[in-house]
Amino acid sequence: MADSTCTSEFCNAGWAEILTHMSPYGYANFGIAFGLGLSVVGAAWGIWLTGASLVGAAVKAPRIRSKNLISVIFCEATAIYGVIMAIILANKVKKPDEATYFLDEDWDFPGFYYAGYGMFSAGLSVGLTNIASGVSVGIAGSSCAIADAQDPSLFVKILIVEIFASALGIFGIIVGIIQSNSCTFPIAPLE
Amino acid sequence: MTTPAPQSDAGNLSTFNILHGFTEALVRGMRSSFMKDSDYHHMTQCDTLDDFRLNMTETDYSESVADIPNLTPSGLQEAALEKMVTEFKYLRTQAVEPLGQFLDFITYEYMIENVMLLLKGTLSGRDINELIAQCHPLGMFKESTMRSVPTFEPGPRGYDDLYQTVLVDTPVGPYFAQFLQDSAVHGGSRNVLEEVEIEIIKSSLIKYWIEDFAAYCSKLGGETATIMGDLLKVRADTNAINITLNSFGTPLNEPGMRFSDRKRLYPAVGHLYPAGTSMLVDVGDEDELGRVLELFPQYSSIWGVHAGGGSEKSIDDAFYERDVQQLELAFEGQMHFGVFYAFVKLKEQEIRNLVWISECILQGQKDEINKFVPVFSQHAPWRKSGGRR
Repeated sequence: MADSTCTSEFCNAGWAEILTHMSPYGYANFGIAFGLGLSVVGAAWGIWLTGASLVGAAVKAPRIRSKNLISVIFCEATAIYGVIMAIILANKVKKPDEATYFLDEDWDFPGFYYAGYGMFSAGLSVGLTNIASGVSVGIAGSSCAIADAQDPSLFVKILIVEIFASALGIFGIIVGIIQSNSCTFPIAPLE
Repeated sequence: MTTPAPQSDAGNLSTFNILHGFTEALVRGMRSSFMKDSDYHHMTQCDTLDDFRLNMTETDYSESVADIPNLTPSGLQEAALEKMVTEFKYLRTQAVEPLGQFLDFITYEYMIENVMLLLKGTLSGRDINELIAQCHPLGMFKESTMRSVPTFEPGPRGYDDLYQTVLVDTPVGPYFAQFLQDSAVHGGSRNVLEEVEIEIIKSSLIKYWIEDFAAYCSKLGGETATIMGDLLKVRADTNAINITLNSFGTPLNEPGMRFSDRKRLYPAVGHLYPAGTSMLVDVGDEDELGRVLELFPQYSSIWGVHAGGGSEKSIDDAFYERDVQQLELAFEGQMHFGVFYAFVKLKEQEIRNLVWISECILQGQKDEINKFVPVFSQHAPWRKSGGRR
């Protein structure tokens, strides 16, 4: 690999240089996208898992229709966590007061990079936990609908399983908020 | 071997519901339509068939018996079977591949039965319309196909012609082709196509069907392969044991015929395959059969029922009990295809139960009336909490 290393000043020094030189604005906005997108993937996955079984089981036992929509609501909650996180993060991204070509020398670079990395990882925290939460609520909800159709006393007991599964999403948004709490983008050079 | 492999597998816990969630939830909803212990209890207390009919109107069968003014056991069987077939067809129309092919496999068994019924009936000269009325509704072919079955002549090329002209387009055609191929290879010079009995053809076709079904299920993979694999192995073993048992006292049991003909009827799947079936080939009478089955713990207890005189239960009853226990287990797990097979088989068992009860009431034999195997019963012997090992 040493033979193919480029020595001109215009070449980059590998992935390390690319990742560290990516703009914090890029990191922050990707974090928002991942947070929202992955949460919605998890919620959608859970909803079709539980919805398919709910519709089928309701053919022979129509009484389960309204009660079991709670499972769908639990899945929807994971998407809401993603939206909340995305709105919080999006409000923290600010553009500088003066549009200069290069940033000033006394720009708050530490805070700048801290904000970028912090918001990226907050978005990932929320997104990945919500995928897991959404899928598990979906599978539990599917079994809940089928079991409720056979024996109504099982509904509340299986709902407790879903509540625990949905708690996983709450963990994600709590940690995400802590991570992004003190992230603010600087808008002017330090005085 | 004859059926192409499935395009996709059944899906695991998180992807099964994409294609099959609705149909699986449907069939699980139909589980509540099975008769409960209390229903069976009320029905065994009936004295006349009118009381029986009244009790039926309180179960899920109320619409089926509503149009029948005078209930007879055979009328009851027809009505109950039609209800099961309607439910199955509803599932089949909602099914997506690979579930569609799986459900079709379940119907092939009944198609084989129907073809054999038509052949047998033709050979004894019965009317085609009467035979078609007796066919199992799940295994019907096109009307034209069924009407052309009796036109074949039972001559040397009879079965070959029957296959070429009639059966080749039906789903059971490949099984028939395999049977002809095998007979040509093993039959040698003698005119096997003339002398082969209908029962042997049927056993061979069922053998090929079980092997094909088992291969398809194992390619589906996942939970389906595990559960269906077990159910089909048990089915294959039941067939092997029944073939051996029924062959005692017939020409099939002669030492010359055992190896060439009887061995070819044993399916190539099952707990008894390959060691057990090779031992079964040499079995000449019931004692030897008992000795072979002692080596397999799951069958020694069933054999014990038969060897013990068979006054309380016959070996068929023991097989039915064991089957119901295993089929109920298929309902325990979610996200696999085994429930569909279990549903059809358990409904069949329930129809057998209903016909048995109504026959006992009709003939006034109240002491025999409890000899049925209830489905999803709380009092099943394997559900009793006492006597756990």
